[in-house]
Amino acid sequence: MSSILRINLSTGRISEEEISQDIRQKFVGGRGLGVKIVFEEVDPLTSPLSADNKIVLAVGPMTGAAAPTAGRYEVVSKSPLTGTISDGNSGGYFGPMLKALGYEAVVLEGKSKDPIYIWAHRGDVEIRDASFVWGKNINETTEKLLGNTEKKAKVACIGPAGERRVRLACIMNDNHRAVGRGGLGAVWGSKNLKAVVVLGSENTSIADEDRFMRAVKSCRMTLDKNPYTKDSLKILGTPVLVSVMANVGILAARNFQEGHFEEVDGIRGEKYLERIFVKPYTCFGCPISCGRLTRVDGELGGGPEYETLWAFGPECGVSDLEGIVKANNLCNSLGLDTISTGSSIGCAMELSERGYLDEKIEFGDSEKMIELVRKIGMNEGIGREIGEGSKRLAERYEHPEIAMQVKGLELPGYDPRGVQGQALAYATSNRGGCHMRAYLIGPEILKVPAGVDRFKTEGKPGIVRLLQDTAAAVDCLILCRFTSLALNIEQYAELLTATTGVEYSPEEFKKVGERVWNLERLYNNRAGFKREDDLLPRRFLEVPLETGNSRGRVVKLEKMLEEYYEERGWTEKGEPKEGLLKELGIWELAH
Amino acid sequence: MATIMESILKVEQRTKEIKISPEELAKLIDHTKLSPYKSTKSMKGLCNEAKAYHFCSVCINPYWTSFCAEELKGTDVKIATVVGFPFGQTTSKAKALETEGAIKEGANEIDMVMNVAAFKDRNFDFVVEDIKAVVEATGGNPLKVIIETGYLTYEEISQASKLVKEAGADFVKNSTGYGPFGATIPHVFLMREAVGPNFGVKAAGGIDEFRDALRMIAAGANRIGASSGIRIIDSYRWAKHSDWLIEEIPCRLCPSRKATFKSMPKKIFQYYKLKCVDCPYRRFNRFYE
Repeated sequence: MSSILRINLSTGRISEEEISQDIRQKFVGGRGLGVKIVFEEVDPLTSPLSADNKIVLAVGPMTGAAAPTAGRYEVVSKSPLTGTISDGNSGGYFGPMLKALGYEAVVLEGKSKDPIYIWAHRGDVEIRDASFVWGKNINETTEKLLGNTEKKAKVACIGPAGERRVRLACIMNDNHRAVGRGGLGAVWGSKNLKAVVVLGSENTSIADEDRFMRAVKSCRMTLDKNPYTKDSLKILGTPVLVSVMANVGILAARNFQEGHFEEVDGIRGEKYLERIFVKPYTCFGCPISCGRLTRVDGELGGGPEYETLWAFGPECGVSDLEGIVKANNLCNSLGLDTISTGSSIGCAMELSERGYLDEKIEFGDSEKMIELVRKIGMNEGIGREIGEGSKRLAERYEHPEIAMQVKGLELPGYDPRGVQGQALAYATSNRGGCHMRAYLIGPEILKVPAGVDRFKTEGKPGIVRLLQDTAAAVDCLILCRFTSLALNIEQYAELLTATTGVEYSPEEFKKVGERVWNLERLYNNRAGFKREDDLLPRRFLEVPLETGNSRGRVVKLEKMLEEYYEERGWTEKGEPKEGLLKELGIWELAH
Repeated sequence: MATIMESILKVEQRTKEIKISPEELAKLIDHTKLSPYKSTKSMKGLCNEAKAYHFCSVCINPYWTSFCAEELKGTDVKIATVVGFPFGQTTSKAKALETEGAIKEGANEIDMVMNVAAFKDRNFDFVVEDIKAVVEATGGNPLKVIIETGYLTYEEISQASKLVKEAGADFVKNSTGYGPFGATIPHVFLMREAVGPNFGVKAAGGIDEFRDALRMIAAGANRIGASSGIRIIDSYRWAKHSDWLIEEIPCRLCPSRKATFKSMPKKIFQYYKLKCVDCPYRRFNRFYE
């Protein structure tokens, strides 16, 4: 039997609810279950930092089992950075321990008067005073909470940034794994929720063990034969992407003013290996091991990953690898999303360079960058303004065109001018400028599952839709999205079927994702998002790149967008049609 | 003969029309592992993969023939052993001996390398005799002959393919994977044109995903050599969920664009590059749109 644990932080009431078979079948778990709960329970017009917003922590049906990478958990809420429904998932070891409590999801609602943390262990749930860790960084918080509970427990918590409701704040677990995007750490902070500490003992139940193990074996064989999951990510981690993106001219530099970074040699994966690498870090059940433990000036830290290397590197004009690592460690310590933090600093640098911002912040100045990270996390001085995210920052200085964001979320490290499909994926992403809603870099650059011409727009809307739906479905399982570089829809559907005992065809599996995608879209529409918000910054549409192997290119968005809406079965305004909602079985839920 | 670009455009069109299931595609693949440093564990893995995916064969170095034959006993997966690999510069006698040994140890098919040096010297009699020596040693088992197209002009590819057929082999194959080019559409297309419809054409080298494999089939190949067989089949299962066959700019598929000074003889490099000059489709060969 699967159930939800509900904790009201205002009243202290703790209750359990059953999840119906119909809901489980339609939404599976993870992102799907979380989105369904937020859709039903959080008014789209709710202020994200008010007591009316809710936080859902969810796991998937196979979390904690032997499926590759089945150790993730999902957090869903309304984002204070974008105003959209938002979610993120994270690896490490917190997810399986959360699953072992025996719940599919934990819903946190209301607001506590004082700082608290949740201690959930072996059938018991307590709301405890967190004043002794309030103000502490992630590592200190984790250590002290484990000292006050049990060493074997796992901790997800916020740092000083989340406490101060910085819109770039994230949730950290296992010290350096993050639910990074969308400022969900600020939602925790707004509820005075410092941490969730879990220690469970239940095993994940699998409906058909033999079939499940056959499916797992097939997946492992595929992962073991794929050049990315077998070699590149294992040996160099995600920093392997630095050279790849540099070669094709989409390693965006200096707040996306260029697609080529002339000092890239200093931050390539190979340099990373030579200078800062200590050993790989492996999340629960992962055969890929893309995580990196690094050391600079004697300090051991997790990462930086590719996106962080880019955000504090080329994006800020910085090639000082040690400086990037320090900025990354500081983000991990304060609880900040590295992509949005780096990119917002890049935005501030351009504002300053153009004379729109009085404070002198120069591209390439890594010391200043590190100082700004601290100020953002502590919500001090200019950090208070940058910590609002690039959109609000650039608007404050009356130059919104300088913010490289979609729907308020800072873009990651792939310049869309050199990858038309990824550009469309950014523009239509339900949580804003994000590469994880659909990783078109796969087909357009890495040739997975098949190579497509990155400069062409023809056919891209169909591929974007497919990858968005599949990604959403994988987030319901929840498996790491790196598996999608190798696995196919049939393999995911088979894993799900064997786990649940409910027969999912590949088409039905895809439909799970489509259902989630449309529900998110509907929520955003009701929160006020329109077709005009499916837009990229003007720079990408009008200013061709001047250097690198994508030079001369701009994004041709409008035509792709029209086709995309048609492909999705949406109106011209970008709203899901009645027939589609009925077909997906969410018409009643939506009305 | 169709011009180079015409063959590419024709094949791109045909690729869209191919109807083949993942299982049928797997049956066309020689699951290949020819690196010099692979361990027993790795070769055992190759056999297990071939069994699981029902590939046509495992394509291996002679050293591994008996091991793989044992691993694959009683399955539908064949053993294809390479001979005179990778340069084809051993003597005919040595190739024949290698072949006899491989067959004795359990090989069902032989992939031999043509003597490209003799061919370049226009010593065609020797080339044919060299192949014939191996044909005899196969004892009736299928023989594929690698002509290494990356060292040849279009005219030579056509001629070499005809010699392979004349010598009594069963397949003409484009590349060892160690030469300057992998499989390209014009080369495979030309090989098929040269040998006609009732002869084997194997495309090998650089076939990493299903689009590459489908293109080669559309160009005329009826066997695919690939070390990425699993990736090809697994990725092919995505094909039915969206249209992945977005047209490429044809020059990206042309050997002239792929030719690099570093990896090939200077004359051949010039030959391919100069083809661009007279190509009626050269307007496509640009970076900017």
